[in-house]
Amino acid sequence: MSKTNQRISKLFATIALAGITSYSLAAEPIKIALAGPVTGPVAQYGDMQSIGALMAIEQINKSGGVNGSMLEAVTYDDACDPKQAVAVANKIVNDDIRFVVGHLCSGSTQPAADIYEEEGILMITAASTTPELTQRGHTLIFRTIGLDTMQGPAAGKYVVEQLKPKRAAILHDKQQYGEGIATAVKSALDTAGIPVALFEGVTAGDKDFSALIAKMKKENIDFVYFGGYHPEMGMLLRQAAENKLEATFMGPEGVGNSDISAIAGEASEGMLVTLPKAFDADPKNAHLVEAFKAKNQDPRGAFVFPAYAAVQVMADAMTLSKSQDPEVLASTIRSNSFDTPTGVLEFDDKGDLKNFSFVVYEWHADGSKTALTNE
Amino acid sequence: MNEAFFYFLQQLLNGLTVGSTYALIAIGYTMVYGIIGMINFAHGEVYMIGCYVTFIALTGLAMLGLESVPLLILGAFILSIIVTSAYGYSIERVAYRPLRGSHRLIPLISAIGMSILLQNFVRVAQGARDIAMPSLVTGGVTLGNEASFHASLSYMQIIIFVTTLMAMIALSIFISRSRTGRACRACAEDIKMTGLLGINSNAIIGITFVIGAILAAVAGVLLSLYYGVVNPYIGFMAGLKAFTAAVLGGIGSIPGAVLGGLVLGVTEAMTSGYLSSQYKDVVAFALLIMILLLRPTGILGRPEVEKV
Repeated sequence: MSKTNQRISKLFATIALAGITSYSLAAEPIKIALAGPVTGPVAQYGDMQSIGALMAIEQINKSGGVNGSMLEAVTYDDACDPKQAVAVANKIVNDDIRFVVGHLCSGSTQPAADIYEEEGILMITAASTTPELTQRGHTLIFRTIGLDTMQGPAAGKYVVEQLKPKRAAILHDKQQYGEGIATAVKSALDTAGIPVALFEGVTAGDKDFSALIAKMKKENIDFVYFGGYHPEMGMLLRQAAENKLEATFMGPEGVGNSDISAIAGEASEGMLVTLPKAFDADPKNAHLVEAFKAKNQDPRGAFVFPAYAAVQVMADAMTLSKSQDPEVLASTIRSNSFDTPTGVLEFDDKGDLKNFSFVVYEWHADGSKTALTNE
Repeated sequence: MNEAFFYFLQQLLNGLTVGSTYALIAIGYTMVYGIIGMINFAHGEVYMIGCYVTFIALTGLAMLGLESVPLLILGAFILSIIVTSAYGYSIERVAYRPLRGSHRLIPLISAIGMSILLQNFVRVAQGARDIAMPSLVTGGVTLGNEASFHASLSYMQIIIFVTTLMAMIALSIFISRSRTGRACRACAEDIKMTGLLGINSNAIIGITFVIGAILAAVAGVLLSLYYGVVNPYIGFMAGLKAFTAAVLGGIGSIPGAVLGGLVLGVTEAMTSGYLSSQYKDVVAFALLIMILLLRPTGILGRPEVEKV
């Protein structure tokens, strides 16, 4: 045996011994993987998830942990890239972690979820809203956020009951998310007998909607729903105002961020948007909002509280079932209800929330918003 | 005159507005192709840079205390033209001139690389998000009866028509009357022969890129004012549309590029107006295929002469 080899084996022996000592000192912490974008263009969403989840872990550990064990977060970066998400999922499997909060972007959650299901790992996402994720017969995959298919009906209900437009136009950006929601809104309006004069797709990235707006003017449209994201909605609002099309515009959460006011300016005043409830405004979450503020963190991000809820659901399920077996936990999660900062959560067989409410907001030109519905 | 007529008129005006800006960008493609037989895929990015310079110039001038809107726009035109021509010239110098004389496909790849480089350069320097500004020119004239559907022509649309027309007239005078313009035409005929006759063909190619860039800058200023929004990716879409317009009109022919741009713009507006905006691109490209089937060289293109 050469000298180097001897040194290496000594090193390994020390490490092994050190491992055993620390193991015997305390109950092993329960590791929870936080998987999401730490880098890349949507890293701010990953930030929301991690501050929410870390706060939940901190609060749970403060009150004694779960069945005597502390929770410990391990962060993994998938950069919202499906390829990297698969690598991260395999790494989590190899690191022998059996609980995952994440991933974030639907595109990366889907391939990662397949690996977790196969390897018997419990996954709860706080952000992925694509309906497909839970439609493939998985048993260990859950989410603490609503689905794209819930938002359309919520918007449709408000339009039918409150707005009662005379002639509506429904537009979408020809993508899965936008067209799906637009179709749901259309079917709500069709059922209520409100005439939908136009149902058309526009090309994402297009800047000129003058021809479409002239057509809507001719059709005397007084309500426009656009399923898509803020760049096209901003141009629609702006050009509608310039061409004096007097109609109420409405869109899904994809249009509800401060960029819309930057693009459309004054024209964004009065736009309607469906968004998840602002959990930070709930008085019973005041202590958590304080705790976030004490750490200089912003609790307003859309995924902060759903991530908190994801960790809490896992911890509560462990306490209830006195087990750490993902299979047992999954059935506990399905058969119980959980009181979290995002409300009392109940899960259906697919792993989706039974109720998740979207709230209709009125947008203002300065980027603020007022709620028009309660639940 | 009834509602249907004014609706048609409105869509025609909308189409011509978009079409004129396609035409301005298309000229850049067609002139370069006419002289060196190469598609400058970075041209859309040159337009995008023109838009960004407009935004920066308007903000800068406004911060310096300039309040008159016509002067602001004039300032934006001047600055945008200067900066964008510098880009146009440098692109030719850096990415195409060293490859002169190589296989035809090689500068094409270089052009795509240049396009990616410029897009990412602007993304890093200016951020990937949309930048917006309020409309500077508002209001317009109404055509028809106010009570029913009436066509409206905004002052901004009038500015676009007039500026495009002026740019076209200036270009055709330059090409047909000036010495350099004559050299440009000669190079388009036979670049080897003009070289033998003592014309610096490299300089002429450089000038062609600068002219293309100037027109792209004009389009950039006009569209920045019209839409008020810019992001690093607009060059791709605009470039694609303008390239289509150039092919439609007959690539290599300047009047062809103008005609192609207008035809494309009006087709898109009419499809959106009478059919569905969903089929806008479908109809536009179906038209392109039809025209290329009937006239393979485009509407005004001359048949390609195989050079021996």
